[in-house]
Amino acid sequence: MNPMTVPVPRLPVGDSFDASIEWLRTHLSGLFDVLGAVIGACVDALTTLLAQTSATQFTLLACAVIAAGLLRRGHLRPVGIAAAVWAVLYIAELAGGAATAVVGSMPAAVFSPAMSLYQAEYVYPPLLLALLLLAALVVLSFTYGRGTRQELLAALTCVALFAVTLAHFTLGVQLSLVVLPLFVLLAYVVVGWRVALFTVLGFLLIISMDKWDNAMSSLALILVATAVAIVVSLPLGILAAYSDRFSTVVRPVLDFMQTLPAFVYLLPAVAFFSIGAVPGVIATVVFAMPPGVRLTELGIRQVDKELVEAGEAFGAPDWAILRRIQLPLALSTIMAGVNQIIMLSLSMVVIAGMVGAGGLGNDVYRGIAQGNVPVGFEGGIAVVVLAIYLDRLTAAITRFSPAGRAAAAAR
Amino acid sequence: MPAVRAENLYKVFGRRAAEAVEALSDGRHRDEIADLGVTAAVIDASFEVEPGEIFVVMGLSGSGKSTLIRMLNGLLPPTSGTVEIDGTDITGLKKADLRKVRSEKVSMVFQHFALFPHRPVVENAAYALEVRGVAREERHAKAQEALELVGLQGWEDKLPGQLSGGMQQRVGLARALAADTEIILMDEAFSALDPLIRRDMQTQLLELQASLGKTIVFITHDLNEAMRLGDRICVLRDGRVAQIGTAQEILDHPANDYVATFTEDVDRTRVLTAASVMVPAAPCAAPTDGPEEVLRAMREQDRDFCFVLDADERLLGAVSADDAEAAQDGGADDIAEAVKPVEDTTAPTTLVADLFAAAARSERPLAVVDEEDRMLGVIPRTALLEGLAMEGSRS
Repeated sequence: MNPMTVPVPRLPVGDSFDASIEWLRTHLSGLFDVLGAVIGACVDALTTLLAQTSATQFTLLACAVIAAGLLRRGHLRPVGIAAAVWAVLYIAELAGGAATAVVGSMPAAVFSPAMSLYQAEYVYPPLLLALLLLAALVVLSFTYGRGTRQELLAALTCVALFAVTLAHFTLGVQLSLVVLPLFVLLAYVVVGWRVALFTVLGFLLIISMDKWDNAMSSLALILVATAVAIVVSLPLGILAAYSDRFSTVVRPVLDFMQTLPAFVYLLPAVAFFSIGAVPGVIATVVFAMPPGVRLTELGIRQVDKELVEAGEAFGAPDWAILRRIQLPLALSTIMAGVNQIIMLSLSMVVIAGMVGAGGLGNDVYRGIAQGNVPVGFEGGIAVVVLAIYLDRLTAAITRFSPAGRAAAAAR
Repeated sequence: MPAVRAENLYKVFGRRAAEAVEALSDGRHRDEIADLGVTAAVIDASFEVEPGEIFVVMGLSGSGKSTLIRMLNGLLPPTSGTVEIDGTDITGLKKADLRKVRSEKVSMVFQHFALFPHRPVVENAAYALEVRGVAREERHAKAQEALELVGLQGWEDKLPGQLSGGMQQRVGLARALAADTEIILMDEAFSALDPLIRRDMQTQLLELQASLGKTIVFITHDLNEAMRLGDRICVLRDGRVAQIGTAQEILDHPANDYVATFTEDVDRTRVLTAASVMVPAAPCAAPTDGPEEVLRAMREQDRDFCFVLDADERLLGAVSADDAEAAQDGGADDIAEAVKPVEDTTAPTTLVADLFAAAARSERPLAVVDEEDRMLGVIPRTALLEGLAMEGSRS
């Protein structure tokens, strides 16, 4: 041994981390089980919605579009009543098969034309309820929305719904080609025709590479991870904006979370939630959350002090100042944070493939593990298409916010 | 009862504030206690604002005026001393009670308008009522009234960003008016506006005040603005009150050299009124006086005209020397027939600046009359010049 070597004691950093995970796992397993079950259920439900959309879901989607139009025109009450009635009936159906009983008691002749159109063999009560809600909303559109473009919106939505269900369920066109126009339409409404055109080409590329189902399951994972990350990071960001002390404590923690190699998160995530989509979501949330916290804090701190003072000077309580002044004005910065969360989730989705999260990550990981360049590269390209689509969409959505409109007005 | 009362108000920023207050109350200057590491913004300020008056706090930047006004509605808690609003001491109030005072008794207009850019004009104006929980219809109606008062009808649905600076501050004013509080604090409300708009806004504020009679505490760094708006002016220097008084008191009897140097730059013609420069009317006559008598009075005063007043001192007109001589030659008993109406008269409240044109037009001194046409005095051109010269004599 070199005589000048100074012995530095070995600190058991890794071992103690492992021990603490072990301790948490044994003492808080119930909590993690619940968490895992909820997240797993969300991912599954969303994946089914995106990759195996049912007729009921399509119908509810159409309802949502019409309802959004009505809400934008200020008809909160009728829409709320219709939605509440539907929710009550749906819960009654789930609980005791109420709708099934009603359907069973009615003469078959009422349903037979529609059933023969869709070559259906029985009446599915939830679909029937969704159709009733749709009918109610259309009627509302034609009474309350008279003379506005709401009528047109309702009519076009119904036509689109009919076309989609007819094409997919009757003619048997694959779901990806049926759903593609919906993604394109969303891009066109929110951003513009350029991004819509990109969506057509990009998503057709994904379909032609046979990556559609994987892309949808990755999208589901990203959306769930983003939702969880927002729910966690928004309150933290608000706290950090209000308290300098909390801000100084939380900042190095965020640095740590962001710079620790992303792979390392997979170890404890697997320890807590075993393999599958759930540890993927958890690791993604931890890795993607910091910009959400940072930009929420920044957004709130950036709001003009005089505006906050104006709120105080007129006697507004703190929460009202936060909700009506600070959050609306910080929204575009917060949305930039959400955009960053989504982008980081996308980069994490590939890594999460290592723990069997499925989706595009699986393809990429398989490509690396097997040295299969085509599979890996195609998976990567699909991630890029998804990333660009989501980035443009979230970047443009701020122009619908109050602050975005104010900025546009000032120009 | 005064609407606002401040007593021995101190605001010192820094950890050793209490020590600093003690040192300052012994009369030390704020620069002398720099070693305590504190910033003394307001030192021993005491004043009372009467209901319905415009009380202007005037001082240069760093004189503590913004800190002072923020203590009046509790946005900043004073280090020591008390603030009373309508007789209630607000310095010891709980947070919720303080909010109630702000929303019901004191509203505020800000230097940079502080309008909410994401809300339409009408919702900005209705903000105070929204905070108070007034129903939507009612608060919009009230906001609408306030917007009409400031001349902004038709702009309700625009966003603040679409309005010019002057219009934005009108919205700020409408927001304070819609709150319908007795007291309005205006923090350099017109300082960010360009000079022409600023004058318009001052005029509008004075007009509104004449009909609404609010209690206004107005902060400014511009003495001309202070003199124009203020019923009374409080001059702040380095956090201390240098002088409190009416515009004329401050001009004529500055409390110290600091205030005096300030007043040098004041455009006196915009502060002094006709009443303050007028001299007793002479010569005067009654319509029943004989021509000889009137002519003699003119000669004694070295004038070629004479004002004619009735028994109640009301101005009937004037007689020129030529007309009086003609009446004498015609053998008239009195001058009643020779009286000609006086065209140029002025009210005692007219600013001297607005008298020059009339004074230049008229050969004779301007007659100052009250609302009932009673003669109060006259303003010869020399008196106008003397009024201006007082400024030069001090510098």
